[in-house]
Amino acid sequence: MMEDAGTQALSDALSSSFRIVKALMALLVVIFLASGMFTVENNQIAVKLRFGRPVGVGEEQRLKPGWHWAFPYPIDEVVKIPVGQSHTITSTVGWYAISPEEEAANVEPQPRVSMTPGVDGYALTADGNIIHVRVNLKYRITDPVRYAFHFASITNLLQHVVDNALLYAASHYHADVALYKDTIGFSEMVLGRVTQIIDDQKLGITLDPSEVRTTAPLDVRPAFDAVLTAQQQGRTRVSDAQAYATSLTNTAVAFARVISNDGVTASNQIVQNVAAEAKSFADQLPSYRTDPALFKKRRLAETLEKVFSNAEEKFFIPARLDGQPRELRLQLNSGPPKPKPEPTAKP
Amino acid sequence: MKPNSITLITGLLLVVIFGAMLFTFQVRQTEIDVVTTFGKYSRSIDQPGLQFRAPWPIQRVYEFDNRIQNFERKYEQTTTRDALNVIISVYVGWRIVDPRLFLERFNGDIANAELTLEPLVRNAKTGVIGKHPFSDLISTNLADIKFDQIEKEMLAAIQPPARTNYGVEVELLGIKQIGLPESITAKVFERMRAERMRLVKKYQSDGEKEAAIIRANANSETNRVLTFAAAEATKIRGEAEKEAARSYDIFAQSPDLAIFLFQLKTLEQSLKERATLLLDERTPPFNMLNGQVVGPSTSK
Repeated sequence: MMEDAGTQALSDALSSSFRIVKALMALLVVIFLASGMFTVENNQIAVKLRFGRPVGVGEEQRLKPGWHWAFPYPIDEVVKIPVGQSHTITSTVGWYAISPEEEAANVEPQPRVSMTPGVDGYALTADGNIIHVRVNLKYRITDPVRYAFHFASITNLLQHVVDNALLYAASHYHADVALYKDTIGFSEMVLGRVTQIIDDQKLGITLDPSEVRTTAPLDVRPAFDAVLTAQQQGRTRVSDAQAYATSLTNTAVAFARVISNDGVTASNQIVQNVAAEAKSFADQLPSYRTDPALFKKRRLAETLEKVFSNAEEKFFIPARLDGQPRELRLQLNSGPPKPKPEPTAKP
Repeated sequence: MKPNSITLITGLLLVVIFGAMLFTFQVRQTEIDVVTTFGKYSRSIDQPGLQFRAPWPIQRVYEFDNRIQNFERKYEQTTTRDALNVIISVYVGWRIVDPRLFLERFNGDIANAELTLEPLVRNAKTGVIGKHPFSDLISTNLADIKFDQIEKEMLAAIQPPARTNYGVEVELLGIKQIGLPESITAKVFERMRAERMRLVKKYQSDGEKEAAIIRANANSETNRVLTFAAAEATKIRGEAEKEAARSYDIFAQSPDLAIFLFQLKTLEQSLKERATLLLDERTPPFNMLNGQVVGPSTSK
């Protein structure tokens, strides 16, 4: 009896235990299945690998933003790839050595008289000069499957590509052209080279507007600045000369007009004066012919009247009674000089 | 106890799971796997998916990354055909194409593989650069630059031995950095300064010269304009004199009267302003002050 009770109790206990175990196992199965739920964010796409192989073909492989479910690992594996957002890669070989502190403070380092390999970056230009180039390449992932599954360390590879592109462009450009005269063309060549390699290797990315900066080496920058200053000075000299020429020409044209007008005026005066004198002569001729002597005396008296009236000083010097010559001393031009009219300005 | 169906299913599930762990493996999208049986090569699998195998230690699976790897060769000095020293580094992109050979050579170690590829890259770089003059890399004549060709030659030099000896395919190669020895860069800077100073003088003298030409041309044009204007004015006056001369014909009717009137006019005009006259009793009409009266018989 006692053994039957004990066995029954054990059986009951085992039965309860098994129920608990079964419940736990069922719960584990539910948790196992629920752990396959995941979300794909707005700036992502996901690829589900089932036993290592992408699920779906072509566009179906790409899971868009939202809720999704996959079998838990190791059956399914979800790879999320950022798309849409812009990534940046900066070149490493073309810029001068600068410490992070100097870079943060936007301060340039001290000029160096030479470039140390492995420390200072630079690019050689077509004319054998040295310039610094920095590229900040911005890109977006447009083929996430290719980007994620065909290249290891793709950001490293992109950096190599950017470095190659800036060297390539520098080798095709003269220093002055890359630095000042055609910075846009230089930038286009750098980015064009990057695009070409991206397309050839099908890296699965597209470039966004990127920045290409060039600058002269710090040690020779004053010499480059002097060239720009000299160019500006030369242009200023030419501009000043052109202004002088314009002013001079305009003044000459104006004065020529004055000369011409004076000539016309003088010619008119000549014609009119002679015509007036001829008319006066014709008017007086009959009187003269009537009595020439009387005419002359009359006209002389009239003229002398005017002359004596206009004269500023008149001295009547009677003869000496003894008939000797009289010595006369006069101070001439005792008054202030008459002001002369100002002449017209001549170029 | 009656057999429980749920327990049975659960048990079967556990058997399946353990069986899968022992007898299956995954080849991921980014992998290429090699299966060996008792250490001897059996097969390579480059397609992703679920594969079957015998459990270890019967069979072992080696997993390799089948993506394109990349590394950068050291920045080292080499010599061009025209004996100029340049410092060049290149980057290489490669991937495993013969996993069996790759396993035998490197036991699957990618870092070891890159270390082994480095001498290949160095030899290719030195050999190719040594066949080209410096102007093939850097030249003012853009048609001389053979940047792409040099890269292609280096790639072509590396690919066969890499494939044959190591089971890797070098997919891409590019020049990452070109430089000059440090002492040469100092000389380059000196030359750049000298060139800039020459340009400064040139721009200054060009500006002076152009300005002088502009000024000289302006002066010349001014003289021409004024001379022309003076000539035209003289011409106009001449024509006026010619026209006026027609009026002089009337004076021929009585030259004596004409001369008399001209003299009167001259007398009046010349003594018009600021004149000082000295007169005596002989000058009419002041001779009247002596009591002289001039009649018709005494007219001159």
